[in-house]
Amino acid sequence: MVQFTLPKNSKITEGKTWPRPVGARSQREYRIYRWNPEDGRNPRVDTYYVDTGDCGPMVLDALIWIKNNVDATLTFRRSCREGICGSCSMNIDGTNTLACTKAMSDIGGPIRIYPLPHLPVVKDLVPDLTNFYAQHASIQPWLQTVSPTPQKEWKQSHEDRQKLDGLYECILCACCSTACPSYWWNSERFLGPAALLQAHRFIMDSRDEATGQRLDNLEDPFRLYRCHTIMNCTKACPKHLNPAKAIAEIKRMLVERQV
Amino acid sequence: MAGPKHIRTPLGRVLGRGAAKSGTEHFWHQRLTAVANVPLTIAALGILIALLGRNQAAAAQILGSPAVSIIMLLFVSSIIIHMRIGMAAIIEDYVHDESAKLTLLMANTFFTIAVGLAAVYGLLKLSFGL
Amino acid sequence: MAENGKNDGSAPAINGRAYPIEDHAYDVVVIGAGGAGLRAVVGCSEAGLRTACITKVFPTRSHTVAAQGGIAAALGNMGEDDWRWHMYDTVKGSDWLGDQDAIEYMCRNAPDAVYELEHWGLPFSRREDGKIYQRPFGGMTTHYGKGTAQRTCAAADRTGHAMLHTMYGQALRHSTEFFIEYFAIDLIVDDEGRCRGVVALNLEDGSIHRFSAQMTVIATGGYGRTYASCTGAHTQTGDGNAMVLRAGLPLQDMEFVQFHPTGVYGAGVLITEGARGEGAYLVNSEGERFMERYAPSAKDLASRDVVSRAMTIEIREGRGVGPKKDHIFLHLDHLDPQILAERLPGITESARIFAGVDLTRDPVPILPTVHYNMGGIATNYHGEALTKKNGNSDTVVPGMMALGEAACVSVHGANRLGSNSLIDLVVFGRAAAHRCAEILAPNDKHPELPKDSADRPLSRLDKFRHASGGTPTAQLRNKMQHVMQNNCAVFRTGEVLEEGSQLIHQVFNGIDDLRVSDRSLIWNSDLVETLEFANLIEQAVVTMDSAVNRTESRGAHAREDFPDRDDQNWMKHTLSWLDLATGKVTIDYRPVHTYTLTNDVAYIEPKKRVY
Repeated sequence: MVQFTLPKNSKITEGKTWPRPVGARSQREYRIYRWNPEDGRNPRVDTYYVDTGDCGPMVLDALIWIKNNVDATLTFRRSCREGICGSCSMNIDGTNTLACTKAMSDIGGPIRIYPLPHLPVVKDLVPDLTNFYAQHASIQPWLQTVSPTPQKEWKQSHEDRQKLDGLYECILCACCSTACPSYWWNSERFLGPAALLQAHRFIMDSRDEATGQRLDNLEDPFRLYRCHTIMNCTKACPKHLNPAKAIAEIKRMLVERQV
Repeated sequence: MAGPKHIRTPLGRVLGRGAAKSGTEHFWHQRLTAVANVPLTIAALGILIALLGRNQAAAAQILGSPAVSIIMLLFVSSIIIHMRIGMAAIIEDYVHDESAKLTLLMANTFFTIAVGLAAVYGLLKLSFGL
Repeated sequence: MAENGKNDGSAPAINGRAYPIEDHAYDVVVIGAGGAGLRAVVGCSEAGLRTACITKVFPTRSHTVAAQGGIAAALGNMGEDDWRWHMYDTVKGSDWLGDQDAIEYMCRNAPDAVYELEHWGLPFSRREDGKIYQRPFGGMTTHYGKGTAQRTCAAADRTGHAMLHTMYGQALRHSTEFFIEYFAIDLIVDDEGRCRGVVALNLEDGSIHRFSAQMTVIATGGYGRTYASCTGAHTQTGDGNAMVLRAGLPLQDMEFVQFHPTGVYGAGVLITEGARGEGAYLVNSEGERFMERYAPSAKDLASRDVVSRAMTIEIREGRGVGPKKDHIFLHLDHLDPQILAERLPGITESARIFAGVDLTRDPVPILPTVHYNMGGIATNYHGEALTKKNGNSDTVVPGMMALGEAACVSVHGANRLGSNSLIDLVVFGRAAAHRCAEILAPNDKHPELPKDSADRPLSRLDKFRHASGGTPTAQLRNKMQHVMQNNCAVFRTGEVLEEGSQLIHQVFNGIDDLRVSDRSLIWNSDLVETLEFANLIEQAVVTMDSAVNRTESRGAHAREDFPDRDDQNWMKHTLSWLDLATGKVTIDYRPVHTYTLTNDVAYIEPKKRVY
């Protein structure tokens, strides 16, 4: 029952120090987690030096600079580079955030980059988000109605629409869920802040007619109530959303419907 | 390489056995007792301080008086309920082996009931001198 | 290594090793999970067709997510509107290169497509009375150019995000089969020219998957990354366009590349045209609202090509702002902070992060930035891919459809109007699904795939996987991007384009000297970037040579040596084929459809395009 040895590949070793750029006026030191499932070695931390004069201001710019100029094998996800697609979420300087909107100047000393915590790693900074996506799917993130669909739009008041602000903007980057200790210990059964935020988005939608079933599906000691209001989710969210508040709202609604 | 022991779709795994449709009561009681614990703990501390330096007979007389006794009974029940729910949450958080979890949850219930009843018995005995 | 499943396909041995292949069969395979791809997937699933969606990024990370301003449809929620006016604006915006049957189809069906999205849950911004809010956008008018239309439905300035997430939800609702983080390598085309499916690489474990399909729908987006500075994502590499070129089919109107007037200076990220829709304006170093000179009636809300050219002229004539006088200011500081917070929260954040500017106080430094490719795979308004065969330029390529930015329907012609792209995605995504439902029988038996169906894709994969030349991919890509940026920009001349053609062909020839450092199979992003680069350079060559060829100015293609539109000789679509061995581009033409779909609207005759 009790495991006394560390799981395979959990011991991180010192990796390679790559050569400094030649003729760079200013440089930043990057210490980046590397793991290649095919080479049979333990994970390691490689050290790179980035020529900041030749590179954009964001951490993602530096990663791309490294990939283009130093080490093409460095592996990470990226796409929109403007903080809307949610691909480049990773642990930077101890915090889960998007590499594309995190300025290197906001970080002192060597910049340490790891994959999002507590997820299986596919390679280097690429985590396996399968379970995270399935949790999002499990809350049925689509509008559900029973009333006959109108020919034009469902009417929604200005105020009711405003209730969706701060909820619908989630980009599914997983920074919040993977920052949550409760999610670390119970990711198989606790839905995590991202999925719960989206659940709340549909619960709050004045057009949706499945609020009752949605609440039923969340009322569970694990799915919902593993949230202990630690607030790491809200602190981590790179879009400044507040999943902790959304979860508290769901709990409040559940209490209100039976008290 | 041996194959995996279980193959399920990711969504199948998440949906699992469905929602237990419970937990709200625990959540509500935890909040309720938390609120109750604030005045009750202050009152209980006050009583405790009042007992300092007194002999056994005087202390028993104070604890046996109706107002003090009722406050202490409320204090004990509220704390015990709060403790039981809190401890259960900790067990559910960290213990993932199902049989170990059930055993610990059982032990938690037995322990809190035993401690709670002992305290209540003591207070009632002081009040009614049974 | 992870299991590759059953290995019952042919496994051509290349470089002494065999790639195991996993086979799949579907009625419809959609490549790409952006707005167009997802809409087609949902429609085909609803129609009972067995549908798969292959995508190289998780669906909500496709670049539709970054669309900001909105989606155009003549709902008439903010005052009178008519789809015919929308059609007129689109035709005029296209500088009469758009096919009017397709434009009619789009504008007519736009309201239904928008209501459908709303019914699916898209959180549109609302008017006080509960109807969908609509904002003014560039080139959108009422009464055939007389008034300003409020036609663009928006979810604040995150419309694309709201739309993509909504459609992903619908796809989940229909239990769509996604193949996520699968990179499509090449199409399977049989001897009769029928598209039979696609071969893809699963990034997670490096396994090869062969999809046989009755219909292959290409919804892979644009190829903005051929340029050094573009508003598009890193993943915007036009993989579908390149696959079509390699299948020996032409691309249409590739010379038309839209520069968005308001990309953030330096970073290149987008500031929505919706900002100007809400009242923002451009100024030069003299503090002048110069658009009043270039477009007296539409001013800052003129069509994008017009505004981008005006800005470029201002900068050229020394009226740019900043220490190098090389950009322009966009002012929003006069707008009510409440409006900014409610309707433009996304760009407020973008401006702060990428330009260090507080919108409520200071102007944003901006520059015309590559944004959209009007060109792509020629299709009809059903989404069916077209080629020119035996003189018939409307020959349908059997088994192949194209949608969205990858396609050239052509509704955008020589210049797309803002907020017409999102409506293009859903209207034609829907049309394609309807067409599939009409012409395909669910679960029909597939004829045997050609024996060599995997050879071409696998030798391509293998070639790049083991590429060990002297030039890293990034270096060659950088070269390509700078050639395109310098020689195929807002204003073009024959001389600069000729030079560009030479240079871009040099880059094309450099592909044999590529070096890939990562030899692994699991999540080999070095390999993927190389495959993407190879796709980009093919499109870059075709774009440059098509631009050399077109000796007139029309929409986004502005030739200084041929400043006027020449309807006599050039009111026709360019079709360009690429010879992969030599890089030689062959050009032919397709007539513009100068007729409408129904008698509800008359053909809109060409006239001078002034805003």
